[in-house]
Amino acid sequence: MFMKSNNEFKNLEPMFKPKSVAIIGASRDPDKVGNIIMQNYINGGYSGDLYLVNKNADEINGMKSYKSILDVKKGVDLAVVAIPAKFVPQAIEECGKAKVKSIVVVSGGFAEVGEVELQNKMVEIADKYKIPLLGPNCLGVMDPRSRIDTLFLPTYKLSRASVGSVSFVAQSGAVGSTILDLISGEGFGLSKFISYGNAAQVDEVDILNYLMHDKETKVIVMYIEGIKRGKEFVELAKKITKIKPVVVLKAGRTEAGASAAKSHTASLAGSYKTHEAIFRQFGFTIASDLSELLYYAKIFASEPMPKGPNIAIITDGGGTGVLTADAIGSSKSMKLGTFSDDISKKLRKIMPVLVNIRNPLDLAGDADSKRYSDAITLLKDDESIDIIVVIALFQTPGADSRLAAELIRIKQLISKPMIVISIGSQYTEMHKIMMESGGLPVYDSPASAIESLSALYDYHRYLKH
Amino acid sequence: MQLDYFKAKKILDEYGIKSIESSYINSLKEAKDFCGKDRIVLKAISDKAIHKSKAGLVMLDVNQDSIESSYKELLKRAEKVKPYKIIAQKMSDKGIEIILGGRTDQQFGRFILLGLGGIYVEAFKDFALRLCPIDKFDANEMIDQLRSKNVITYKGKSTEMLITLLMKISKLLLEHEEVKELDLNPVIITENGYEIVDIRMIV
Repeated sequence: MFMKSNNEFKNLEPMFKPKSVAIIGASRDPDKVGNIIMQNYINGGYSGDLYLVNKNADEINGMKSYKSILDVKKGVDLAVVAIPAKFVPQAIEECGKAKVKSIVVVSGGFAEVGEVELQNKMVEIADKYKIPLLGPNCLGVMDPRSRIDTLFLPTYKLSRASVGSVSFVAQSGAVGSTILDLISGEGFGLSKFISYGNAAQVDEVDILNYLMHDKETKVIVMYIEGIKRGKEFVELAKKITKIKPVVVLKAGRTEAGASAAKSHTASLAGSYKTHEAIFRQFGFTIASDLSELLYYAKIFASEPMPKGPNIAIITDGGGTGVLTADAIGSSKSMKLGTFSDDISKKLRKIMPVLVNIRNPLDLAGDADSKRYSDAITLLKDDESIDIIVVIALFQTPGADSRLAAELIRIKQLISKPMIVISIGSQYTEMHKIMMESGGLPVYDSPASAIESLSALYDYHRYLKH
Repeated sequence: MQLDYFKAKKILDEYGIKSIESSYINSLKEAKDFCGKDRIVLKAISDKAIHKSKAGLVMLDVNQDSIESSYKELLKRAEKVKPYKIIAQKMSDKGIEIILGGRTDQQFGRFILLGLGGIYVEAFKDFALRLCPIDKFDANEMIDQLRSKNVITYKGKSTEMLITLLMKISKLLLEHEEVKELDLNPVIITENGYEIVDIRMIV
């Protein structure tokens, strides 16, 4: 029997790479959502065709405005809908007739406030014309490559991230915009941002399906509250992590305790736990808060897979070296490696007498970029070491911009994962930005660094099994 | 509805999952005959009492000397959960109590559960969950995920046995769609094997 898949038409490509965009609800009133979206397109450098649609205007800020999308009479790849909810179904109908290829409804006032029928009506129309529809009640999409930005948040309030390889999916607009703002301060950039709100038609399965095949996306990071289609999600989950890493933060971790009326298994296996089990089983990386989400995104974006769990620590501060060794000791997966005899001998020859040749390798407080460079150059070829963790404390006399530059240089020559721990305020922060722009991930605590490496290694183990 | 204990036991048998020698008891004489020279456990089973130990419906370590008083006391306690059945089981060896279970999730399907069992289930909530079917890697990861891993595997000695057991249960859960929920709690893990002491199957 031939059955048409429900998802067949939900191709999200025109949403991210549209050659033409129509803003339905464009406005000259700076307080209106439609105005902010319009400004983002005009000021954001979008190079495709832009059409403004407003039933009450012929002209907005000097640009031509159409009464209806039907008047545009040219192909529109993406329609952004920002008008009151009750007018949305009519607008979708017109989009259908105008053969629009994709729709983002940012307007609220649907199922989230009990207007389920209105929402269903809207979806029915989009389905009829086989148009993918994102939202309603969402921030929509952003793609710094194509300069698509349907977010109704002004750029002075929310910094836009640079171009990169991490795509971020968020059901919630609030969490989405927070993360987006935080990402802009990180060295890795953004590939796609998707806030999908009520998930009336396009849901997390469709979005992940798209990102799974998207060549610009290397890492997927998602915040979800619930999964709509469990069985389809599981089928997708089995495939997606084989192709690229997915970091997930699921809301609703705490639940009311076990009820005496249920069996043990039923009360233990509550909703968060079943979701968590699915994520674990199919190789997702589970974050427990927003900062973990960013740590994990950072490591997956830049680092290769480690061959094993053995870490070498190279430090200019003895204490921080010990703290990092402690973090390794309390990690389930990672191990403090032992330098091979051959490399130890070579290290002994070139290191000053006061440097003890053991792991953590304490280069002493006067270590300069040359001493770091010598140590890393030897350890990168040590077969018994899988990962290099460099602690660079910029408060010490020998550490300055030359060290940051040298670490960036050496990172290019090394095929093992290599990360930096730098703890400090402004001077350190400056070097952190420098190193991260150079493709070297920097962590601000031993715990976050080791947890991130552990996530990387666990993913590697999952892929290998 | 809870499946009859011996019907449930039979389903476990199909998969080579062995549970402890048990029998329904209808009289003191039957109890004495089952007991012989061993130490046994007497339990009252009722739909009205899910957690038998908490309700005082389990008499442990009964022998020929204590059987009469234990049996009579159990009948008295079971009055409040009528209708009930009395079941006698051989006393298991000493070991670590774990829980093995399964449940049906509306959204995703069949889940299998492994955790530290007996009275520790609720106290520690140390358990791992996976969607069925599971493979060897998954089973191993479930064990590895537990904080009590070294305790329940006797520092790894019982790992292989547990993996085999988990995979058998996963198979059972997938092939017996009528079983909506399964609780094997406790399962006693000894250095040489396991003994399933209690079975609860919801159909």
